[in-house]
This record gives sequence, structure tokens and C-alpha cells, in this order.
Amino acid sequence: MASAELRLIRRRIRSVESTMKITRAMELISTARIGKAQSRLVAARPYAQKLDEVIRNVAAAGGTAHPLLAKRDVETAGIVVVSSDRGLAGGYNHSVIRIGEEAVRTHLHEGRRVNLYVVGKKAQSYFAYRKQAIEHAWLNVTDLPVYADARMIANVLLNDYADENVDSVEIFTTQYISALTQNPIRRALLPIEAPMGESDDAPAPVGYSFEPSPEEILDRLLPRYLEGSIYGVLLDASASEHAARRRAMKAATENADELTRILIRGANQARQTEITTEISEIVGGAAALGDG
Amino acid sequence: MAKPFHVDIVTPEAVIWSGEATMVTARTMDGDMGILADHEPTMAALATGAVQVHHEDGVTSVGVHGGFLQIYRNEVTLLTDWATLTDGGLEEARQAAATLREEDSTPA
Repeated sequence: MASAELRLIRRRIRSVESTMKITRAMELISTARIGKAQSRLVAARPYAQKLDEVIRNVAAAGGTAHPLLAKRDVETAGIVVVSSDRGLAGGYNHSVIRIGEEAVRTHLHEGRRVNLYVVGKKAQSYFAYRKQAIEHAWLNVTDLPVYADARMIANVLLNDYADENVDSVEIFTTQYISALTQNPIRRALLPIEAPMGESDDAPAPVGYSFEPSPEEILDRLLPRYLEGSIYGVLLDASASEHAARRRAMKAATENADELTRILIRGANQARQTEITTEISEIVGGAAALGDG
Repeated sequence: MAKPFHVDIVTPEAVIWSGEATMVTARTMDGDMGILADHEPTMAALATGAVQVHHEDGVTSVGVHGGFLQIYRNEVTLLTDWATLTDGGLEEARQAAATLREEDSTPA
């Protein structure tokens, strides 16, 4: 019969091994998701580039005055924090929430009001727990962001900006640089800092004809530009989330592997001790019989 | 054969169609518009409707919803919020565009 110690160790080995199965599966899933997220990032690039080019051309043709481009005194600052819906992604959520919270504190400290918007359950629960009022929360977006999500977010922000509920909007998110590097960053969303000035390769176009007027075109262009920016941010965040999760799960799998090895060693030792004890008991017993 | 020019149909999520075309028709806010090579530089707002690209291999119909059309340096770029490539003709593209409009809950 196995000793209590040996049974205990074997039970732990089984538990660690089943955890390792889960973390390995999550690692593989995340690896696949990064690939998908990356290709979506690449697919979104042509639109962003073309839109930049179009706005530059419209600006060069004279249409540059627009409420969305005008800076105003900030009484209420809008802050968007982009986090994930699920955890187990290492420091991913923590680092972006931290810079967002710092910004909230700075604004409050400087006597401005703050309207907080969050994307993802993690940021929502973090700020809710700290009794920070949340203006709007978007959930279930970052796992697989689509353009409609970006449009939804942009609409709320544009409305609040137009109603002067907020005088500026900045977004805190994670920039995807590579599978190994993702940085939490801050980006200004409103007022829009449009890509003005001429592009490198083309001279300003002349004799552009507008249908309808340049003002109306700009009126339609700028919200699209905001949507496009937010869409880019969401894709970046999504790729970063999957990369962070993959890394965390890889580390967890490796740790579990290491732990099983140590536990197996312990189990062997316990088994050997047991056998040794048994043998010495038998030998002792036989010796006692022989003596008698 | 008419002089070809470059056309890109791009949505935020993907490039829908890219290539050389001889004629493009699109529905803008001010009405239908036909584009041949060497069109003057233009910027137009797109309405919901069908875009047809005439090229070497025939005609490609795309249902689009919202966006812009830019003609610049003999290149036509359609930046549209939503677009669906259809196999069929004009009617099918119009149908697709109408579906896109219904799916878009937000006002354009």
C-alpha cells in the first residue's frame, strides 16, 4: 500500500498535469489568434493610408475649418481605456489600466472633470471596484474587433463631444509592435489631429472638384477618420492581448512542466523510502525469527 | 479599347477590389456618376448603391454603403464603410447594398 505522502504527491502531479494541458491549449489558441489579428492589421492598413491621403488632399484644397479639428479649453476630459474581457494575459491589462488611471488622476488634480469610457470587462471591473464612475462601457469587443464596433464607439464619443460633454478625448491602449513587444500608449482622439501638410511624394492637387461641397465632404470624412483610428486601435489592442496571453500561457506551461519534474522526483524518493522501510522490516522480522 | 486606369475599392477591413478598369459607374450623393480615364480630380460622397467596374474580363458589381470616391492623377479610389462583392449584375449589387444599409444601425 502506498504511503500517505506518496499518494499526496501523485495527486498533485495529476493536478499540475491537467492544468498544463489547459495552459498549453490556451497557448496554441492564442498563437493562432495572433496570426489572425496580425493579418487583420495588415488588411486595415490600405484604408487608413488612403483616408490619410484623402484628408490631406481635402485640406490642401482649402477645407480645414471644422468643429472636430478646433481645439477648445478642456473642462471635461474624456478618457478611453482599452482592456480585454478575459484575464490570464500576464501584465497586459494592468499596464494599460495603470497609465489610464494616472491620466485620470492628473486631470482631476488639475481641476478638470473626467468622463471615463472603458472597453473590456477588465477595465470596467477595475474602475467600478474603485468607485470611479464609468460613462460608457463596451464589452466583448477586443477578442475579434470588427469595424461596426469602432463605429459604435466613435458615435458615442462624437455625440458627447458635439454636446460638449467632453472637450477632448484621449485613448489608452496597447500598441502591437511584435509578438514579443507590446507597449501601453496614449493617443489623442479628439479634437482630431488630422494628417495635414503635403504628402511626401505628391504636390497639392489643383482644381479638385467636390460633390457636394468641401465642407460637407470634410463633415463626412472626419467621423470616418475617427472610426478608422479607433478601428486601428482595437486591432492593435486585440493583437497585443493575444500576444500577451500567449506569452503568459507559455510561461505557465513551462512552469507546470518544471513542477511536474520536481514532483516526480519527490514521488520516486517517497516510493524508494517506502521500499527501503519495507525491506528493513522484512529483514528485521526474519532476523527476529531466526534468533528465536 | 478604352484607355485603362487604376481602381481601388477599399473598406476598413479589406481591399475589396483592385486593378485596371476602363469604366466605373457609382452612385454618389448627387446622383449616378460614370468615370472614364483622365477624369478631372474629384472628391465625391458615395450613397448606398451599386458600383460597377468595367474591366478586361467583364464587369464587376459591388454593393457599397457610404464612403467616398476620389479621382486623382487618373487613379480612382473608393473608400467605403461597407462593401460586398457580388457575382451577379446590377440588381444583385443593389440588393447587397440595401442589406448593408439595413445592417448599419447607426445613421450615416
